[in-house]
Amino acid sequence: MDPLTETAQRLSALSRRHYRSAYATVDWPLTVEQQQWFTSPELISIFGTPYWESLDEPQRMRLSFWEAANFFSINIHGERALLEGLAHRLYQPGLEDVTEYLHHFLDEENKHSVWFGTFCLRYAGRVYPDRKVPFPAAFGPTEEEFLFFARAAVFEEIVDRHNAAMAADERLVPVARQINALHHADETRHLVFGRQLVAELWRRHRPTWSPETVTAVRHYLASYLVGTWREYYNPSVYLDAGLTDPWVTAREAWDHPVTRQHRQLFSRTCVRFLLDAGILDETPTL
Amino acid sequence: MDQAALRQALRQWVLAHAGTPTAEAVRDRTPLISSRLITSLQVLDLVLFIEELRGAPIDVRMLRADTFRDIDTICATFFAGGAR
Repeated sequence: MDPLTETAQRLSALSRRHYRSAYATVDWPLTVEQQQWFTSPELISIFGTPYWESLDEPQRMRLSFWEAANFFSINIHGERALLEGLAHRLYQPGLEDVTEYLHHFLDEENKHSVWFGTFCLRYAGRVYPDRKVPFPAAFGPTEEEFLFFARAAVFEEIVDRHNAAMAADERLVPVARQINALHHADETRHLVFGRQLVAELWRRHRPTWSPETVTAVRHYLASYLVGTWREYYNPSVYLDAGLTDPWVTAREAWDHPVTRQHRQLFSRTCVRFLLDAGILDETPTL
Repeated sequence: MDQAALRQALRQWVLAHAGTPTAEAVRDRTPLISSRLITSLQVLDLVLFIEELRGAPIDVRMLRADTFRDIDTICATFFAGGAR
């Protein structure tokens, strides 16, 4: 049995062992008071910038609520694309041996979206809209297949760094901490699968691509990593939190050296994986 | 901001992000997407820039590749009521 199939079977067994209902796992309060921490202060997008310094504690807590709504919204949109792509790939040629695990992957991603969606709609009254613009496919089928799973891996690696940190943060309101902890528990398996599958698809397809295609795939993936982070700096969040000039805040927070350092730190594992696998040939500028 | 200043701001943004060598290469009818001056991943930044010029979020139902075809189309789609 090849290593990827073996991993997929092991992860399927773990998923069955940890199977749970999406509707019986989170203790949902009827309402939440915004004067609490919903996002770890250090993970708030403007942390370390003059904008953060200008806020008092109640304003920071209020911002932490809307940042949590944005983080969960980002997850909803990322997982929706993942659900669509996973469903499309069930039983596809070349993926038969891992399809059993793709069923678990789909099931677990759907549950995550239930948790994220419930938080956003119940407490924030909205899911922040996705600003990504759908474009026609720019690559061939093998590149698209690789990039689908590579995007998923990059997206989940970044999200999981946040989940792991916030699952352990006792300052957070229980419902926010619980959602982060539950997501982290499932994502640990998804990350193992994602890394192995992405490396395997790279080994399988790369020799069939021209040097120009390899360069284009690398450029796309590096840009995707940057774009993934861009969504964490959402002007609509700053608007809801009562900050003045939300678009300038987003732009200047993004450009601030402290936030760049944070993105580099939280992307380190992901970038290391991509470099070690030979997928990227240089560290992206974040 | 009047229409001329708005178009100039959009051209400057495209020039800064597309890495196009000369200003002559970016006119109001220059295809931005089909010529790959702007990639799908850069459009998110462009959306944020348009929102900043408008001073208001964009209705995401208007976010389709064809609405970013060129500067003329961007102006007609997102700035029919003018910029702030």
